[in-house]
Amino acid sequence: MVLKKLSDFFDAIVSIFKGRSVEYIEAELRELENVFALIVLGSFIGLPSPPSTISLRLLPYMGRELLVMSRISERLDDMLGEMAGLFDIA
Amino acid sequence: MTLIRFFLGKGGVGKTTSAAAYSVNKALQGKRVLVVSLDPAHNLGDVFDTELGDDPVKLMDNLVAIEVDYDKMIKKHLKELTEKIKDIYGYLKIFNLDKYVDVLKHSPGVEEQASLEKIIEIVRKYGVGDKAFDIIVFDTPPTGLTLRIMALPTISLIWIERLIKLRLAILERRKTISSITGERFEIEIAGRKFKVPISVKEDPIFKELMKLKDEYNWINKRLTDPNTTAAIMVINPETLPVLEAYRAVNFLKKINVPVTHLIVNKVLELDTVPERLRPRIEEQEIALALAREKLPGLEMIKIPYLEREPRGLQMLKRVAEYLSPIP
Repeated sequence: MVLKKLSDFFDAIVSIFKGRSVEYIEAELRELENVFALIVLGSFIGLPSPPSTISLRLLPYMGRELLVMSRISERLDDMLGEMAGLFDIA
Repeated sequence: MTLIRFFLGKGGVGKTTSAAAYSVNKALQGKRVLVVSLDPAHNLGDVFDTELGDDPVKLMDNLVAIEVDYDKMIKKHLKELTEKIKDIYGYLKIFNLDKYVDVLKHSPGVEEQASLEKIIEIVRKYGVGDKAFDIIVFDTPPTGLTLRIMALPTISLIWIERLIKLRLAILERRKTISSITGERFEIEIAGRKFKVPISVKEDPIFKELMKLKDEYNWINKRLTDPNTTAAIMVINPETLPVLEAYRAVNFLKKINVPVTHLIVNKVLELDTVPERLRPRIEEQEIALALAREKLPGLEMIKIPYLEREPRGLQMLKRVAEYLSPIP
């Protein structure tokens, strides 16, 4: 019984750590995907972009990146808040 | 392997005449030559005194010429791009907005991209396989545009390399998250769920980037291979073309395109110099000295100012003799 409780306790600890580390990697992944979309399709917002052939050849496969980019752009004014939340800064 | 020759220089110095005469020279030596005009000004047909077009025209034994239809080439390139965009954003047709996509034709860089694709098409069609020509000669547009065309594979490869690195970083993180959580990534777009690729094998973006890398590497290798490719600068014996050639050669060196010869066209060679032409001859000597000083690595070939305009095969055969040193 005690062993089972201990095992559950450690499982809970592990899943908390897993959850936190995944959260950090997910945030990093979102930003990388956002940067990728911005680089490939940056000409939409006036950024220098690769030769048009490269952008157009990649465009059909960029659904997720475009979605991430538009979601991030929606909350650009509160990026500091998001980062503070991620690192538990009150 | 098919040799590739680019004739470059300032507008009006005699690129087309030199490219045509070189082609005649090699054809007379028994080499199978294709000469292609990429210059929108299109003088190649005028130089050969015959009408040329997009389809190869036989000019003499072993010599065939093409004059690329510039408008058609850009239209074809844009049509392919526009069709792709219209395919992806097909719903724009509902609002009749698709016509606005046609504005692409005015976007910067289209001329260079279309020209490069034409070069790739010609080299692939006529420079590979059993029926390949021995030499493909390109008569190019004036220096500025030609340099941008030739730099395009290098520039594209820099972008592609960066994007590949970034893509690998993305895939690595997706894989890490997936292995920690034990779940596959999914994304919902327009009500449908899609699996998100987590490895290079299943990622279409990574595959497309590798395909682009292969394509640009192929043409870049062809353009920079000193065993098969050479750029030949054409100038007049005047200071401005020499300075422009100097800058062009330096730029081509940076992108590893081999430049081998310097043709000085229209050199005044007079037995007795009339008094009013004396300053001109002095300036010519200054320009030639400058060319030797600024471009020491290039073999110089002089073509004299001829008594007749070098038009038609007979006159070109005369000019061709001067160009024998170019392999």
